[in-house]
Amino acid sequence: MTIKEKIVGRLLLTVFALTVLVPIIVILVWSFAARWPWPNLWPQSFSLRGIQEIFGGYSGALQVLGSSIVLSLIVALLAVLIGTMTARSLVFYNFYGKRLIELGTILPIIIPSTVFAMGVHVLFIRFGLADNIGGVIIVHLICALPYTIKIMTDVTAAFGCKLEEQASVLGASPLQIFKEITLPCLLPGIISSACMAYILSFSQYFLTLIIGGGNVKTFAIMMVPYLQSGDRTIASAYSLVFICSTLLVFVIFEKTAKRFNKNGSNYFFV
Amino acid sequence: MKKFKFAPYLLNLPLALLSLIFIVGIVNGLLQSFGLIPALGLYEFTFKYYYEVFSRSDLLASFGLSLYISLASSLLAAIFGVLLSLLLVMTGKAKGKTLNLVKIPIIIPHIVVAFFVITIFSQNGLLARIMYSLGLISAQADFPALLYTDNAFGIILAYLWKEIPFVAFFVITIMANISSTLGEAAKNLGASQWQTFWHVTLPLCMPSIKNAFLIIFAFSLGAYELPYLLGATMPKALPVQAFIEYTHPDLLHRPYAMALNGIMFFISLIIVVLYYRLLQQNTRKVNGGE
Repeated sequence: MTIKEKIVGRLLLTVFALTVLVPIIVILVWSFAARWPWPNLWPQSFSLRGIQEIFGGYSGALQVLGSSIVLSLIVALLAVLIGTMTARSLVFYNFYGKRLIELGTILPIIIPSTVFAMGVHVLFIRFGLADNIGGVIIVHLICALPYTIKIMTDVTAAFGCKLEEQASVLGASPLQIFKEITLPCLLPGIISSACMAYILSFSQYFLTLIIGGGNVKTFAIMMVPYLQSGDRTIASAYSLVFICSTLLVFVIFEKTAKRFNKNGSNYFFV
Repeated sequence: MKKFKFAPYLLNLPLALLSLIFIVGIVNGLLQSFGLIPALGLYEFTFKYYYEVFSRSDLLASFGLSLYISLASSLLAAIFGVLLSLLLVMTGKAKGKTLNLVKIPIIIPHIVVAFFVITIFSQNGLLARIMYSLGLISAQADFPALLYTDNAFGIILAYLWKEIPFVAFFVITIMANISSTLGEAAKNLGASQWQTFWHVTLPLCMPSIKNAFLIIFAFSLGAYELPYLLGATMPKALPVQAFIEYTHPDLLHRPYAMALNGIMFFISLIIVVLYYRLLQQNTRKVNGGE
């Protein structure tokens, strides 16, 4: 590459980095702004009003954040479990209906969740799954599974079953094989798919709104009225807490994974 | 390894159950769109609601708007996503820390992205303030209205912010592989950088690009959040209009909601068919034959 091309490349990369980072920096500043009137480029004064609104206790935001994180963790756990099972069957077995299962794994990506949600709502009401956390977990799972299955299928196919067979020949019990071989080898995939399922569940708004019916209050549901309200300080604070809590959960995922697998590094964030 | 005969069926049991719920939900919605709602005393199969959707100008406008938003945002995202991926590959940043920048927009939810667009592109947003301080505009009203307008610029901008990195992330691995193997070969044989891109890298990445395009097209067609937060009052995007009809106090509006959903469903059905043909083309290529 010539020097000119290198400079242009650098420049374009900087433009991209700014496009990603500037909005985040702007809401960071807004979260702490007390007054930021037109046409100022920087706030006139700062305050902790936005942060206090969330951490102050009276808004109930912290409880909602906590229960929302737990809900999404449950979805992530189930999605990884089901994703791993389905991936194993798709990679290691030939069975009747395999193509149907393959089709089933992509449908929820392509068919809009709004179509699904309004169609299934009446049935959920009849079976007592509407307006409660169980129903919300089910619909979140349906949205998240296509992604976890894709990731787990790739990882399972790359890893194969040769090591497991060797261990079995050498007399390891199924539990030992699972603990010593399968789990550590699949761990990078498990972490990425857990992150993916977590974020899909945590950022879900419409599905939770319609199936949860106002009874299941997630952080995303709580946040939307503030985003519409025009109070940018509060809206920014909520957005910031949303992003930071997600990153924190991902870091915890990776730290936990590293305790099991010391040389693994191929997780969601490099 | 000992293979237990029923193992694959047991392993697929939870997915099969959830898929069943999914399919029953879709079928139930479709039946309602054809006027079959026993709970409301409607028993007759009819195309009436579809016919009315296409004859009511406001609902037809919703259909046009949704198609426009999805097509515009997905095409632009595919083009710029490929260019971004190319930029990262050519500057040697296809792996490592720079890739985290590509992942950030993927983890930020649409509702927050909508708020980003409001803080930056509204008439008292950051961009208007910068233009004012540079003397390019003299009042808030001079800044073009980009949000809540029927050209849907705000919605498209928000989709682009999320989808360009998504496309790049989707194609970057294969693009990096191709350019380090076949791309190098082409260059050794005397091809210029652009020739290599046009005639070697791009055609080989095309299946992944098409794949990514279909996913974001289908998603943006049926997504509620961005048109709800950034859309104009009239016309409303299909999912928003459908939800309004769905929650209408007069329950006889429900079939209209389902007909709007039905339209989204049939468009996505076309996408599923395209997707499957794409998948089969890929397997044929991998197996050696054309």
